[in-house]
Amino acid sequence: MADVKISGLHKRFGPFHAVQGIDLEIADGEFTVLVGPSGCGKSTLLRTIAGLEGVSEGTIAIGGEVVNDMRPRDRDVAMVFQDYALYPHLTVERNIGFGLRARKMPADEIGRRVGRVAGMLGITPLLGRYPRQLSGGQRQRVAIGRAIVREPQIFLFDEPLSNLDAQLRDEMRGEIKRLHQTIATTMIYVTHDQIEAMTLADRIVLMRDGRIEQTGSPAELFERPASRFVAGFLGSPRMSFLPGSVTRVDGRVGIQVDGREAPLPLPAGRISDATEAGARVLLGLRPEHMVRARDEGTGPGSIRIDATIELLQPTGSRTFATFRLGDSQATAELQAHDIGSAGETIGLEVNLNRASVFDARTERAL
Amino acid sequence: MAQIPTTRPAVRRRRRRRPAIGRFVFLGLFMLFVLAPIYWMFVTSIKPSDDYLAIPPVWFPAEPTTVHYTAALFAYRGLQGIVNSLVVSLAATVLSVMVGTAMAYSLARFNTGGKHLSFWILSQRFLPPIAVVLPIFLIYRSVGLHDTRLGLIIAYTVFTLPVSVWMMLAYFRSMPRSMEDAALVDGCTQWQAFWQVAVPLAAPGIVAAAVFAFIACWTEFFFALVLTSRTAFTLPTVFRAFLGFQGAQYGEASALAIVSLAPSIALGVLAQRHLVRGLTLGAVRG
Amino acid sequence: MTTDATSAISPSRRLPRRRAGLSEWSDRHFKWLLVIPAVLLILSLSVYPLLFSLWVSFVNYDFQIPGHAFVGLKNFSMVVLDPVARWSLVLTILLSAANVAIELGLGLALALAMVRSFPGRGLVMSVLIIPLFISPVIVGQAWALLLQRPFGPMNYLLGQLLGHEMTIGWLTESPWLYFALITADVWQWTPFMFVILLAGLTAIPPNLYEAAELDGVDGWQAFRLITLPQIAPIVMLAITFRLLDAVRLFDTIFIMTAGGPGTKTYTSSFYLYTVGFTQFHLSQATAGSWILLILTALLVGLLVKRLVKTEPA
Repeated sequence: MADVKISGLHKRFGPFHAVQGIDLEIADGEFTVLVGPSGCGKSTLLRTIAGLEGVSEGTIAIGGEVVNDMRPRDRDVAMVFQDYALYPHLTVERNIGFGLRARKMPADEIGRRVGRVAGMLGITPLLGRYPRQLSGGQRQRVAIGRAIVREPQIFLFDEPLSNLDAQLRDEMRGEIKRLHQTIATTMIYVTHDQIEAMTLADRIVLMRDGRIEQTGSPAELFERPASRFVAGFLGSPRMSFLPGSVTRVDGRVGIQVDGREAPLPLPAGRISDATEAGARVLLGLRPEHMVRARDEGTGPGSIRIDATIELLQPTGSRTFATFRLGDSQATAELQAHDIGSAGETIGLEVNLNRASVFDARTERAL
Repeated sequence: MAQIPTTRPAVRRRRRRRPAIGRFVFLGLFMLFVLAPIYWMFVTSIKPSDDYLAIPPVWFPAEPTTVHYTAALFAYRGLQGIVNSLVVSLAATVLSVMVGTAMAYSLARFNTGGKHLSFWILSQRFLPPIAVVLPIFLIYRSVGLHDTRLGLIIAYTVFTLPVSVWMMLAYFRSMPRSMEDAALVDGCTQWQAFWQVAVPLAAPGIVAAAVFAFIACWTEFFFALVLTSRTAFTLPTVFRAFLGFQGAQYGEASALAIVSLAPSIALGVLAQRHLVRGLTLGAVRG
Repeated sequence: MTTDATSAISPSRRLPRRRAGLSEWSDRHFKWLLVIPAVLLILSLSVYPLLFSLWVSFVNYDFQIPGHAFVGLKNFSMVVLDPVARWSLVLTILLSAANVAIELGLGLALALAMVRSFPGRGLVMSVLIIPLFISPVIVGQAWALLLQRPFGPMNYLLGQLLGHEMTIGWLTESPWLYFALITADVWQWTPFMFVILLAGLTAIPPNLYEAAELDGVDGWQAFRLITLPQIAPIVMLAITFRLLDAVRLFDTIFIMTAGGPGTKTYTSSFYLYTVGFTQFHLSQATAGSWILLILTALLVGLLVKRLVKTEPA
């Protein structure tokens, strides 16, 4: 079994506390993405799993065995690096077979495995070339090939697509996903790109400042963010955050957004009864949840508001419209034909079923 | 990675252009300044002895001769000096670069010994040679290393070590770690990652360090003067024989000088990409 | 498909744990193992000799006389009281200062001249760095030839230039003596300054000058306000390195003047050399060289502190 269990992990670089108390369990065969802003400790965490960095406190166990003191070569993990880390002085074939050669595998076995992996990745014609002769995408495939050929129990990816242009990135993302479906090995993937996280992960681990903000499936983190940070990190354009206060009138709960008199009603049970009236909150609305209102009226849980559009950002099929809601700004996602130009006032249907509410002070979800 | 300093493209000016003539005249004059002594030495080495006493001086001999070269190499034992210099310089260079590269790798990747160790190594570069050479002379005499090639090799290894370490330190620091990391994960021990990945990748830097170490040994005078005598003497020390040049040894001295400086100039010009790094112990990127 | 594929690929997922003792031990101590050879070499051929010489300077060390009696600071005071020692220190300081100053000025001028690209620049570059790779003894030899009286070309050319016969004893008469020594040193080490300063100049981002030009600042002003401050740290670095080398002046003195006439061109290193290897007053020589070492260390400390301060953040 190649499950990973991390308990109470701390990593310090001198005074800098890069990883602060991580507890994480990754099941065998799971595709886990560590995501977060720069400096959040995700790469450091990955490197401690690989054994490239030591551990200050806590334990890392792979397959039930504590590996803290084990050298990288003994941990049976493979890693794909952001800058590919191919050996420039070796051909593609020797690059891929490097690890096998280091473990004294017989030459014919190496040849077979390398050939099969090259075929799998479509790089067989490149075997005799040197890394400098390859394009970025080809190099990345070779790097992946080098990892696959060792048949490790865990794959580690350290921002492997960051150096590729957008189109290539989309392509390689699909390939990595397909790879996981084929090989079904535990994969731990680090990225700062939330799209990669959302599309690739079985489970997302969102990190900030050395700690885990939230873990869960992509859907969970997207629909039920545990904090404002999580809500703002996933989804593009960002969720709009509107400061306001809780209102309880006639048994009905609502949020009175600052600067707007009429409160926005929340569906029953959306926030717990423990939250008192007048409590300061942040109302979170994603652009997809605010659409052009239809004439027939609004759906249950939604409300219609009139918004004067201040800024338009067309992207082809969709247009993002920024408008004022009370004192704050919000962004709605409209169809291109819904709106003509800035300055227009249109009706928007706001789906409050999907809204998030955060405590204004702690920024945790209510 | 250091290289010949690259140039800025000439900035286009809309106002009047300062004439570039002064620049070229100055450069031309300085080039003349640089080449003149070398030219004169070369010419002296091929002049027949009578020409030395000519006033005005003979700018190029009518009948060039190689007699001074043979005299310098054989009568004055210049050839032996060359052989000794070659052996000592090569051996010391190899040792110095090997030991230095190993240490530099440790300092660069693991920050071994922190600031103190690396500063200690750096500071060796600035020791006044007289302070070190005196006691080494005494020590060598008592252990029988005086006037031996081995003794000089060891001394030169230590003498060139700081520069080797610091050049390779700068080089390793500029190399990304990811390939060594990949090797470690792939199945290498630290040693294997060092030998099979880091060292081959550092080859240009190692060659440059070797070139500068060699030139330093080849041109070194003071240590050789004190630590060698009739057996292990190196090429620079042969020039002692030409002291008191009221005698007519100009030809031999010049011939030997030309023989000595040709290889080191050739090497130096070939390695000039790395020159700035070598001169400043890696403190400046070329 | 998935589980079948995995079990077909690898028969065993567990790698045998190789507790190869030596391999693990050497990996754990890898970083120390790498530095041990260098450290040992330096300890044995630098630290140990220095300590030994310190001992020698406190005793009466002589080849002929057995038994080395402790004499306290006598050797040190002999050096300090020796007028030649003091003169050599003064001369060393003066010569070094003059050398470094001239080399700095010329080097800067060369660097400024070479900063922009022009056809043949590579060739000029190769020529300019030639002096760096020549043994200082040979440099001294070359200049001795040029300056030799009466047959050297220098006197002849000067005579042609100035219209009357020149018979300067460049290597025997002061103050021409010192000009000769300075010229030889400048010839050899100006390229050192030049190369470093050129690196510093080319590292200045061109858009600083472009922005300045838009502001109406260029020419001399740009040089003063942009170039000089930008290269200040490099200048400090170059001066530090050069000065610390300049104070060891020995090889050219040995060949050109052998310290003479008399003791007129004794630098500190040369003085100590004669005391130790011509007169064989070893204890005195080691005492003197320790004094020189301490002075050099002070100079290093001073300069390096300055250097670290001017480093750009």
